[in-house]
Amino acid sequence: MDKKMLKRTRLFISIVVFIFIVLSARLAYLQIIQYEHYWGRAEKNRLRILPITAPRGEIFDKNGRQLVTNRPGFTVSLVDLGRGYDQETISYLAELLEMEEEEIRAKNYSQFYRRYLPIRLKTDVSMETVSRIAERRMELPGVLIEVQPIRNFVFGNFASHILGYMGEGTVPDWLKEQWKKAGYEYQLGDLVGQAGIEMAWEPFLRGEDGGLQVEVNSTGQAIREFERVEPKPGDDIYLTIDARLQQVLEQALNEVVEGLLNENNRYAGEAAAVVLDPRSGGILAMASIPSYDPNTFRLDFPVLVKDPRRPLVNKAIEEHYPIGSTFKMVTAMAALQERAVSKGERVSCSGTVTRYGATKSCFQGTAHGALNIFEALQKSCNIFFYEMGLRVGIDTLAHYSREFGFGNPVGLTDIFGEKKGIVASREFKSTLYRDPWYPAETMDAAIGQSFHSITPLQLANYVAMIANVGIHYRPYLVQKIVDSEGSTKMIAEPEVLYFMEAEESNWEIIRQSMSLVTLPGGTGARLADFPIRVAGKTGTAQVVGRDGSIPSHSLFVAFAPLEEPELALAVFIKHGESRGSTSILVARKILEEYFRVPEE
Amino acid sequence: MFDRRLLKNFDYQLLLIMLVLCCYGLLVIGSATQGANISDPFLFLRKQAVWIALGMVAIFVIISIDYVNFYRWCWYIYAGNLVFLSAVLFVGREGGGAYRWLDLKVFDFQPSELAKVIIIITLARLLVDYEDKLKSFFISFSFLLYVAVPMALIFLQPDLGTSLVFIIIFFGMLFIAGVPWKNLLIFLCSGLALFPFLWTRLLPYQKMRLIVFLNPELDPLNFGYQLKQSMIAIGSGGVTGKGLFEGTQARLQFIPAQHTDFIFSVLGEELGFLGAVVLFLLYLFLIYRILKIGSFSKDSFGAFICTGIAAMIIFQILVNVGMTLSIMPVTGLPLPFMSYGGNSMLVNMLSVGIVINVGMRRHKIQF
Repeated sequence: MDKKMLKRTRLFISIVVFIFIVLSARLAYLQIIQYEHYWGRAEKNRLRILPITAPRGEIFDKNGRQLVTNRPGFTVSLVDLGRGYDQETISYLAELLEMEEEEIRAKNYSQFYRRYLPIRLKTDVSMETVSRIAERRMELPGVLIEVQPIRNFVFGNFASHILGYMGEGTVPDWLKEQWKKAGYEYQLGDLVGQAGIEMAWEPFLRGEDGGLQVEVNSTGQAIREFERVEPKPGDDIYLTIDARLQQVLEQALNEVVEGLLNENNRYAGEAAAVVLDPRSGGILAMASIPSYDPNTFRLDFPVLVKDPRRPLVNKAIEEHYPIGSTFKMVTAMAALQERAVSKGERVSCSGTVTRYGATKSCFQGTAHGALNIFEALQKSCNIFFYEMGLRVGIDTLAHYSREFGFGNPVGLTDIFGEKKGIVASREFKSTLYRDPWYPAETMDAAIGQSFHSITPLQLANYVAMIANVGIHYRPYLVQKIVDSEGSTKMIAEPEVLYFMEAEESNWEIIRQSMSLVTLPGGTGARLADFPIRVAGKTGTAQVVGRDGSIPSHSLFVAFAPLEEPELALAVFIKHGESRGSTSILVARKILEEYFRVPEE
Repeated sequence: MFDRRLLKNFDYQLLLIMLVLCCYGLLVIGSATQGANISDPFLFLRKQAVWIALGMVAIFVIISIDYVNFYRWCWYIYAGNLVFLSAVLFVGREGGGAYRWLDLKVFDFQPSELAKVIIIITLARLLVDYEDKLKSFFISFSFLLYVAVPMALIFLQPDLGTSLVFIIIFFGMLFIAGVPWKNLLIFLCSGLALFPFLWTRLLPYQKMRLIVFLNPELDPLNFGYQLKQSMIAIGSGGVTGKGLFEGTQARLQFIPAQHTDFIFSVLGEELGFLGAVVLFLLYLFLIYRILKIGSFSKDSFGAFICTGIAAMIIFQILVNVGMTLSIMPVTGLPLPFMSYGGNSMLVNMLSVGIVINVGMRRHKIQF
């Protein structure tokens, strides 16, 4: 080899050495200087904490009958493996799960800040779906199948407005705040109660999720388990509801409503009723028609939201209606308390009356003759109460309406959404119409028409107040809470929100009058043969339609037994007046069930 | 079979260092393929061992033929090479969008691997034949055309990485042969000037790899994923590594092509900086021995061959390791003696055999 070649060979070797120095330097930079960084990233690659959903607390009725429980179900989740989502996987899942690709992307995007955690795409998928995914596991990076408890509403479409339903929908800020105070910090995408008890008692029901630290491979499949933190099951809730009574109530309401629809009453279809224990305010039954099945809520949702009868609305607390003659005890109490009438005074009814230029009549123009206050309530004489209304004036009527809990929420907080309704008053009219109040309107207000608008719950509370001589208990649904270890965390105590002062004798007059209603000659004589003395009051709330032929709302309120009341109820059937009161039929079913009286 | 005097010059050190490298490779392949095939966990290891054994046979066959004969057979070899490389374009087996293999039933033959050794041998003859005219620019230019024909055929497969190896072999051998700096620089500059034209001939995925290499953040199609995972694997290995079979990136299959192109990432993760430096030292020693044998060879033909082989090996190391460290673009060149794969193993071992051949016959045999 010549000298030049040798020289160049040496240069060649130098270049080779130089290459190894460069590679070593780069290697040292990655492995020594950046070691911590890359070590952390490798750990993040392989370690993942999979949440273990805590079994949700169960819901029981007052007698310990299971209403809501859990069953195992399969959930399909998708996890970001750090390289975004594979288009083929998303297309495949969209087809298999019958979802829109956009929907899947939106779900992933909405949970961007908790990437690398599995994102639930679809809960409770079929076994067939599970096996189809399992077969193609290697081609579906990041797709996981988890077993998770699925909410099971044992009786399906039953007490759904009380129990509520589960979902991943948006949660309002005030509720997030409230949940946070109760110890549960909501995160976007959490499966939570979206109505009823499920929603209001979310922090108690949900328990604490556990976690499982696993090692995953590059396709996100768990290879090894490390630490496991067991979830803490949620608390069980016992309601004040009596499931049997609830069932009878719902069935009775449904039958009545169906009957009305079969009569081609195109206005009918909605109804609500509340049954309270007047001794505590505990709600024994509460129904709103139409309702829905919380188990299939997600599937039914598109139909439910389009239904003009609005099945999702709990009409017992979220809607208020004119209550007609069931209001008359308010007018009677106002007149008696203000000494505008004595218990013996008679007012003559000739069927119609003209005062302040307005001619008004009794129901169906009946002339009742001379009536005292007992008979006036028994027969629901409008003429008598027009007179009483005019004697005390609208301001006093409005005052006593509020005394009985109208115009304000009556205090149900165990589920959300209670409305305050409207009390007919000067102030209300002037803010709404900027018009003065006319005495003729006082007459309407005295018999429960005019602007009065009352929720069925308010109506039941009002009857309960008559039954228990003026005590306004806070209505409640949750009787007790028992944690997963079986110890009782909370027992509801009756809470007196207000005590309405009135003379004992006046209460007695009203109670006696109401007991006459259900005797022969009274408007509720259909209950005359009922073996237990029931105090009641019918109501027929007229609805002014353009053609005037709209059926009136049918109402009935009652408490029983007369002497020592155990239950107070209010039934409202929208446009339910048809050859007499339909609501009294429902009331009778409730009374029969509660007092174990065989059917007539 | 061999004259005892020939055996006297047999470079056992080179053979030994090569075998150490092969065993080192087997060790890492064993780790990289654990769990890859449940029914036969040693499948890859066994196959690779068979290739190494075949490589040993190839070495002993090749050293029994005096390398001077290669000089004589040069043109047949060159022509045969072109036939194979052309055949691959027409009847080749497709894999990953490229046509690189001829299906020989027993195994898939990759002519471009063998082409590297062939071009080294035939270019060495040209350099010897024109040794006194090497200052002429046109002579050098005609050498370039000579290399460019097989290179173009490989580029068409397409196999950018192997094409580049040809360029390095060309420069390395011309440099050692004494071609003036000036001429080499002219080739280099005109090559760079041709780059824009070449760019338009690249396939989208090749362009993407280059773009991602230049800007790893710009990663619209996740071409950077494998680079990122490779760097995480290496970086997390630290000084001493996580231990053989203990690399999480490797064991959980986060590294793509971890037993072939990215075998170095597995080594870096499991054996750390020290394990990598040991590998570098083995390589350095290997290349040093090859060049040393070249410098002692009895003729320029042997010296040129050795230089070409050294250039081939160092370039593949640079590109492969550089790729896993994200300082070189992803080109898919295997790491010599380490990566799983029969063709490259066989050809690399054959190359070492040729070098040993040159070393054995460094002195005229005296009777």
